[in-house]
Amino acid sequence: METATKAETRSGRRALWIAIPAAVLSVLPLVWALSSALRPSDEVFRYLYPLSWHTLIPETVTFDNFVTLLGGEFHWALINSVIVAFLSVVLGTFLSATAAFALAVLRFPGRGPVFGVLVLSFLIPFEAIAIPLATTFRAMEMQNTYIGLVLPGIGSGLAIFLLRQFFMNIPPSLAEAARIDGLSWWGVFRHIYLPLSRPSLVGAGLVVFVFQWQSFLWPLLIAPDPAMKVAPVAIADFAGELGVDYGQMFAGAILAAGVPLLVLLIFQRQFTASLASSGTKE
Amino acid sequence: MTSAPSKSPMRSARRSMWTTAAIMLLPAIIALALLRLWPSISAIVTSLQPTGDRPVWYTFARLFSDPTFLNSLKVTLLFSVIVNPLQIALALWLAVTLSKRVPAVGLWRTLILLPVAVPQTVSAIVWAVAFRPEGPLNGVINALGLPSVPFLISPSTALLSIVVVCSWVGVGYWMTFLVAGIKDIPKSLYEAAGMDGAGPWRSFLHITLPGLRRPLMFVLVADTVSNFLVFAPVQILTQGGPQGSTDLIMNQVFERAYVTGDMATASAGTVVLIAIVLAVVTLQFKLLPGKE
Repeated sequence: METATKAETRSGRRALWIAIPAAVLSVLPLVWALSSALRPSDEVFRYLYPLSWHTLIPETVTFDNFVTLLGGEFHWALINSVIVAFLSVVLGTFLSATAAFALAVLRFPGRGPVFGVLVLSFLIPFEAIAIPLATTFRAMEMQNTYIGLVLPGIGSGLAIFLLRQFFMNIPPSLAEAARIDGLSWWGVFRHIYLPLSRPSLVGAGLVVFVFQWQSFLWPLLIAPDPAMKVAPVAIADFAGELGVDYGQMFAGAILAAGVPLLVLLIFQRQFTASLASSGTKE
Repeated sequence: MTSAPSKSPMRSARRSMWTTAAIMLLPAIIALALLRLWPSISAIVTSLQPTGDRPVWYTFARLFSDPTFLNSLKVTLLFSVIVNPLQIALALWLAVTLSKRVPAVGLWRTLILLPVAVPQTVSAIVWAVAFRPEGPLNGVINALGLPSVPFLISPSTALLSIVVVCSWVGVGYWMTFLVAGIKDIPKSLYEAAGMDGAGPWRSFLHITLPGLRRPLMFVLVADTVSNFLVFAPVQILTQGGPQGSTDLIMNQVFERAYVTGDMATASAGTVVLIAIVLAVVTLQFKLLPGKE
């Protein structure tokens, strides 16, 4: 840190001319959505055109949009999204961790082919096969169920890769010593590998969480029932409605974006670390 | 090893390892096989279903002679050619900028990353209002003394509007990979180059770019694949219109399956999409040496 030369400091300060506008452009649509959610519904369009200070700062601040929205059906969509994301993260992280442990630590016949199947399924993006898969799920009577919504989120090839990569860096001598002391393989997994990999487990959980909270096409196909709608689908419904209440629409947008934003801010370090190690460091 | 007494505990230890491996792997294998491989196979089977005495490739022949499908391939290609270089160039530019000694650098990086967390449907409806003829974007454009832009209404600007929505999220996301990659380049290389009198542009060309080869290749391919799969913004903002100008392939397959109810060509479209994606990813494995 103390080796910063004058030239470096100067070029760093010049970089602010790029960094600040880029940051403003990234945040502006969100700030505008928030300010629109906080004003009375009939004022949402009042200051859009021509622009004035009130385009970004509401003249009167009110929480009416949030109150009305949550008093209606939208709160079910939020609750459904939370349930689906929570179940997916718990099941998905566990399933990925056990699979990654077996692939990274255990020696068994057929490891190559098993890994091959995982690679292949990892290469096929979920969105590409969502439509044929939805036909199968409907045939199995899994439409409008939490199982139907959760299942695609738990088989994450990316989460398995992340954890396998991390497990392979743990010295095998630890497991060997514990085995000689009589610990079972499950014990090695639970008492040695899991406690050592907390950051990677958070990373894998985030991969699953972001996937599920973003998910739109799949719930649109598999859970059209109003009682089973998730937040992104409920939000999209606003866009299709005639005479939609824009104040409430923005309030819904802020709520649906607020949960992942909070999670991202809390886990930012793990999030960026897990992103960074997911594809670039093999 | 060959004597009987030492063999049996070895064997039982090995068997316990195999059983544990099987129990630990089975759920993931079943999930991935059922959720990824099975639907791919079922799409192939559906698209090759024989109808009467027609040849097996009949559905594909029908698909590839359909002008709406050919238009959607053209739109998808055009979209890829615009959106991928744009996002990667911006992401690289920001990554290089934010790897400098910028005051409060963490704050700027976090703010640029924020849109990543926003669900695509949310960004789509927020931009839908922003793009309105009398919306805030035209407000800014008019304030600058320029004529209004018919963002989503005109076939000549609608696809570019989708590019903007996707890039608002994409640039920060891909930037994160590149920032991590730049951090891995040894500082001493830059110091040595600086002593040799190399300017920032030469350092970028001769140190940053070669050092970023792997993350850059990854971003290139992953970005390309994800942009083949864009669906929510199209479905919410334009439904493929006006005049098919934003009819990306995911929207096209969705419409075939759920609007027209033509499952055969929808499946064939899925097969084409998977083939494109696999081709792009295989290219990555070919171009990246030293992988498993």
